[in-house]
Amino acid sequence: MTDLAQTAPALPASGTRRSLKLARDRLLVLVLILAAWESAGHLGVSEIWISSPSAVGERLWTLALSGELFVHMQRTLTEAALGLALAFAVGVPIGIAMARYKYANEVAEPFIMALYSLPRVALAPLFIIWFGIDLFSKVMMAFSTVIFIFMLNIHEGLKTIDRDLVDLFRTMRAPRALMLSKVILPWLAPWVIASLRIGIGLSLIGAVVAELIGSSAGLGWYIENSAGRLDTTGVFAGLVALTAIAAGGNLLVARLEKRISGWRAA
Amino acid sequence: MNAVARHLHHDAAPTKPKIGFEGVDVAYPTPEGGRIPVVSEASFAVGKGEFVSIVGPSGCGKSTVLRVLSGLLAHEKGTVRINGRSLEENRERIGFMFQRDTLLPWASVADNIRIGAELANIAHERRDARVAELIGFLRLSGFEKHRPHQLSGGMRQRVALGRLLAFEPHIYLLDEPFGALDAQTKIAMGRELLRVWSEYKRSVIFVTHDIEEAVTLSDRVLVMSPRPGHIVRDIAVDLPRPRDPKQLRKDARFADLVDAIWSELDAGH
Repeated sequence: MTDLAQTAPALPASGTRRSLKLARDRLLVLVLILAAWESAGHLGVSEIWISSPSAVGERLWTLALSGELFVHMQRTLTEAALGLALAFAVGVPIGIAMARYKYANEVAEPFIMALYSLPRVALAPLFIIWFGIDLFSKVMMAFSTVIFIFMLNIHEGLKTIDRDLVDLFRTMRAPRALMLSKVILPWLAPWVIASLRIGIGLSLIGAVVAELIGSSAGLGWYIENSAGRLDTTGVFAGLVALTAIAAGGNLLVARLEKRISGWRAA
Repeated sequence: MNAVARHLHHDAAPTKPKIGFEGVDVAYPTPEGGRIPVVSEASFAVGKGEFVSIVGPSGCGKSTVLRVLSGLLAHEKGTVRINGRSLEENRERIGFMFQRDTLLPWASVADNIRIGAELANIAHERRDARVAELIGFLRLSGFEKHRPHQLSGGMRQRVALGRLLAFEPHIYLLDEPFGALDAQTKIAMGRELLRVWSEYKRSVIFVTHDIEEAVTLSDRVLVMSPRPGHIVRDIAVDLPRPRDPKQLRKDARFADLVDAIWSELDAGH
């Protein structure tokens, strides 16, 4: 009997000290970059080209105080988030259907790949004509840049699904809903996370590109508008705000990833 | 005494078997549109509460027989009956176990076992108690919250066995369930399985390529021919129960049975 008795293996320690060190060193790199940028201005590079961190900081502060910053951030964030959510809601079922209806997928594949390879940026003028210069055209641009990521990733994920696992649940006559909720969707979770990770950046690209081409608000519009007035400080302020949104999104996905797909660490 | 009791039981039992396979053919489609016959004219029966092993050369269709019984694969010819009913009408729960543990990698030990109870439609309030009982029975206490990747191969198979038991199958179909384990763990798992079987007394079909394992566990050993496979011999294992795998190896009758099955396999048919 004792040959079956085993002791529980120790779960890995959290490693807080290492993560503190990492945060410190990253901060150090950021400070070095900002210092180099700031001193470049003092060493003779014109502020018209590169502005300076202090000027950008000042601008951001002013924009934050007037509330204008948050209006633009909220606008761009809304466009990107709606586009991403829509791409998820439409892309995941299509990806599942692509895996399930193999022949239909074979028929559709060249068309899907053609659309996928098309630089979606080039669609922006058309989307402005179709969907107007308000929110909707930007959401659709974000949607069109991201949806393929979900479709193709989910399709790929389903191809790797463990056949034995599915067969086993079939022998136990698992109802379709249970099969989906307990086997297939959890199996796909890492692929969904990976899609989200790529999708955050792409949906921002979609939204901002549409804003650059025709809009009256949003960070893309703010950047475009500042550049038109040779206001480099404004351009950089817009870029910093965009980066902040992207970084926040990535942080959120990393959190989600930790919670959902810890099992893949094996 | 045990053997006598079983014989009496056998005599009194009606002739209707739990599982019946009659002249069954199975073929796999090839990519070119042809068919490869895998099982041909296979016939056998398994009684209620009987433990039957199937041995045979690699690729002879042993696993295919189980896949047909579990409904994963259609047969072309012949009749397959469970409790006298066709597979479509079958109401019995069939518990399948693969060589690979096929656990849900993201779910804990307890959750992996619980899903068996869920699929058996065991009432919500009884599930936790049942899971706890099985975890104790399979000596998995202390590992309830562990994920499969944190366990050894033998422990993973015990979790898979736990899920199978939680499903409360009427029939056990075991496809080389301990084939990937080391010799020592394999014997320990066999002992575990016999403990389960003697408690629940369900019909078991156990596919293996390990002849000693088959003789140790079974009431009967079916020997299959090379592909396309059919049953060439049906050998009764009249060794007394309960059996201890380690003691059995010293028994002359055990050695004779193993030899007899080996020579059947060597004959090649």
